Amino acid sequence: MSTLRASARWIRADLRARWGQALLTVLVVAGIVTALITAATLLEDGTNPWRRLFTESRGAHVWIHTRNAPDVAALSRLPGVVQVAGPYRTAPVTLAADGRRSPVTLRGMEARPPAVAAPLVRRGRWLRPDDAGGVVVERSFAEALGLRVGAPFTVTALNGASHPLTVLGLADTADQGFYPETAPGLAWTLTSTLAGVEPALGRSESVTGLRLADGEDTLPVVHGAATLLGGQIQRMSTWREVRAAMELDNRLLGLLLALFGVAGLVAAALAVANAVGGRVLTQTCDIATLKSLGYTRGQVFGLLTAEHGGLGLLGVAAGLLCGRLAASFALDGVPVSTLSSLPPLAIAAGAATVVLVAAALPAWRGGRTPPIPAVPAAPPRGRLSRVARLALLVRLPPALVLGARDAFTRRVPALLSIAGLAVPMMMITIGLGCWATLDDFLLHPERVGQAAALTVHPGRLPAEEAARLAEADPQVAAVYPGSEVSALEPEQTRSVQARALGTSATPYPFPVVEGRMFAARGEAVAGQGLLDLLGVRIGDRVRMTVGGTPLIVRIVGRVLEPDHDGEVLSLGLDSLAAKDAVPPQFYGLVLRPGADPEEVRARLLTASDEALEVRRVVNPAERLVVIRGVIVALIVVLSLLGLANLLTASALGLRDHALDLAVLKAVGLTPRQVTATLVAGTGLLAVLGVGAGAAAGAWLVGGLIDLQGRGSGFGAGIGRAPSALTMAVAVSAAIGAALLVTVIPARRAARAQVPTTPR
Amino acid sequence: MTPPPVAGSVISTVNLVKIYSNGGVPVPAVRGVDLRVEAGEFVAIMGPSGSGKSTLVHMLGGLDSRTSGEIWLDGRRADTLGESAWALLRRRKIGFVFQFFNLVATMTVADNVELPALLAGASAREARERRERLLAELGLTGRADASPAQLAGGEQQRVALARALANRPSLLLADEPTGNLDSRNTRDVLRLIGEVHRGGQTVVLVTHDARVAGMADRVISLLDGQVVDDGTVGAARRRPRGTAGDVVELRG
Repeated sequence: MSTLRASARWIRADLRARWGQALLTVLVVAGIVTALITAATLLEDGTNPWRRLFTESRGAHVWIHTRNAPDVAALSRLPGVVQVAGPYRTAPVTLAADGRRSPVTLRGMEARPPAVAAPLVRRGRWLRPDDAGGVVVERSFAEALGLRVGAPFTVTALNGASHPLTVLGLADTADQGFYPETAPGLAWTLTSTLAGVEPALGRSESVTGLRLADGEDTLPVVHGAATLLGGQIQRMSTWREVRAAMELDNRLLGLLLALFGVAGLVAAALAVANAVGGRVLTQTCDIATLKSLGYTRGQVFGLLTAEHGGLGLLGVAAGLLCGRLAASFALDGVPVSTLSSLPPLAIAAGAATVVLVAAALPAWRGGRTPPIPAVPAAPPRGRLSRVARLALLVRLPPALVLGARDAFTRRVPALLSIAGLAVPMMMITIGLGCWATLDDFLLHPERVGQAAALTVHPGRLPAEEAARLAEADPQVAAVYPGSEVSALEPEQTRSVQARALGTSATPYPFPVVEGRMFAARGEAVAGQGLLDLLGVRIGDRVRMTVGGTPLIVRIVGRVLEPDHDGEVLSLGLDSLAAKDAVPPQFYGLVLRPGADPEEVRARLLTASDEALEVRRVVNPAERLVVIRGVIVALIVVLSLLGLANLLTASALGLRDHALDLAVLKAVGLTPRQVTATLVAGTGLLAVLGVGAGAAAGAWLVGGLIDLQGRGSGFGAGIGRAPSALTMAVAVSAAIGAALLVTVIPARRAARAQVPTTPR
Repeated sequence: MTPPPVAGSVISTVNLVKIYSNGGVPVPAVRGVDLRVEAGEFVAIMGPSGSGKSTLVHMLGGLDSRTSGEIWLDGRRADTLGESAWALLRRRKIGFVFQFFNLVATMTVADNVELPALLAGASAREARERRERLLAELGLTGRADASPAQLAGGEQQRVALARALANRPSLLLADEPTGNLDSRNTRDVLRLIGEVHRGGQTVVLVTHDARVAGMADRVISLLDGQVVDDGTVGAARRRPRGTAGDVVELRG
């Protein structure tokens, strides 16, 4: 107790003397804890908005899309079904707003909100019986289009007739994912209004929701419904797909942050241990003095742990705060159920333990310092090794040889320094690899299945006319007819997308990474997500159902599939039944190299007198643009981490060799050579650490990204290591910065009057 | 095997031995020293380099452990104490002054002097008052906020002395306190140590400088880790001849 005041004095004085290093420790730990907490928040189930929306709206677990209204009474008798929502009639329409045409599903509802899966009105109000011209729009869709309450909502039905409607309210729903990940957008209107917009029953479908007693147990219900309704079923979905659709981006970001955070924590532990160890060595004399004044071993241990561990704890606290801020920033506007505070606290406790242990181990050694201040703690010295003597014989600069020898006079700190630089460098390389992968997505979209920059929907024109117009454009290299249909997978528990694009003879250039491209009718390629979902391999035959018609194909290859978690079957248009394939729903347009998609789009719209619907294909990398910001922030934190290690190595090198400086000068080394000796000592560690880290990172990055790609259904084969140029720049920047950081204190030490007495 | 030390002795050692091990080879530094220092004595330990005088004084303060033999401080056995118990003992009873001052470089002069007082449980105010008084006595009032690096060697040693005296230790152990000082600073520091001694504190001072040793009441000469001479200087000055004091005077 009595030592508290004395220890506080010591800590205050010590921190004042090396505030830069102390601040660095706090910043590094704070940065890493921030990354970890943000990761945990993004990965936490509670951050998935689906959970809250589903609970609040008493959502339906299973949605069944049929041509006509199904037998509700029979459906409600299925085992496990508690309540039924609908059936609601829905019709596909096109919304024209701000010159853009967006497909919308208009769903007919009653003025009285249903008991199950009721849209949650956030702005404006719900429909009233006399709101003949009113719609309530799904919130994410409205936000994407900039629609507010009171805005006009002019829709065009399939027959070409235009209907001016007005937005009455914006509502959240757990029925489908957010726009634009889930398209088309959703809007609710009165049944009577829907009948006016789309009078033809044949052009609409029926949607029925089933709320189950046990949401986990969807399979029997799905099977029951499939048996009951048979060929009527167009498409089925369960809550799991909606949940997955809502978590997409956050999850990838969270995984990235978690990876960096965990590796960063290891590196931070190394850095803290190294810094405390180095500080203990440089302060050996002061610690001995403290002991001669009456500090016990335990008190010295406590003092050092309190000081260095305290800095770490401060960093953890700052990180906890920043992590919460970052997470709330990342989740801005997303309806999130209350977050559990357990994971951040667990992370904080874990990080605090790691930091304290990292500080305590060298502090323990510090506590065992002998109390005689006069004994200088000299590094173990040895003779010049054979290699060193050989190096001197072949007239390598003596500064280099001496420095290289000095670098390893203390083995453990040297190895800690190398590892402390290697881990951040490895993570930086991995970050650069993520960056390169994103670049690759944007620069070569054809490698990720996005050869077509535009899709053209015939709209009001006949399909042949649309194809002719597209082919006539000078910048269009190829036009591939396509159709997308929902296919019920063999067990009929859920739907996947079957995408027919091109024909077996002239297939669309899908990026096949395994197996081969389909070349005949009845062959198809699939994304990793679909292979995993069906549990099939390349060469297997699968049987699906498209609108009641069986579709039997053999999967001959795996493609990179950016859409729908990779759960997409791609095949030639000729493999589909004629009713689904003729006429094609759309055309995929591959442009000539260098063509601007916007320009082509504008030209096509003009040529067709605005009758065509031309859409730009959204590159998945555009959604991930926030990852670049995260990578930059992480590189900054990791660089600070490397810097902290470097400062320790440099300080220790100076301390250990301060006495040698006089000798080196005495034997005739110039101040410049003395500086070079000191820089070479630390620089060698930096070169080894940076080199090892860069090599390990480059080796790991492709595999890690592919692992994530595989897990997300996208499929392995997307990972790119940073280019040789990027790596060269990064490595030389790191080594250059390291040498620069070392050279300043080394110069000062080389020019200073060197004490020739022990300290 | 030896009789218990006489009450009233501040320090007494019985057959004290220290053997270092240098690469497996035993190197004896102190070989069976029997020493008795009475309260209020000013003892100088002299000897050439490597005679074991620093080792002896380090053992007396518990900075170094003994190989065999006994150390009694204030009538209590101290050589059997653990490291922590020694630390507590130093805090209360022993002040140390070293050749290279060993001020904590990151702390100001004021903090350096207040540190032992705070360590011993004094309040911040009490520590400050003691520091102000000590620095005033040592002529360092104006340098309280300076860092040790800004001070000259003599000033640094005076600060170290102030720090050693902060808890009014009954025993002051000084290991070559003037070894690194010029003659003027040596004189100043010795004068201050003399004043401490006159204040009633026991002083044991290690030196290889006969002029410094001349300040002491009693000079003990060590050679190769053994006491070769032990004599009272004050008495020698009064007595005609034939003691170590004369030898010291001649050497000086």
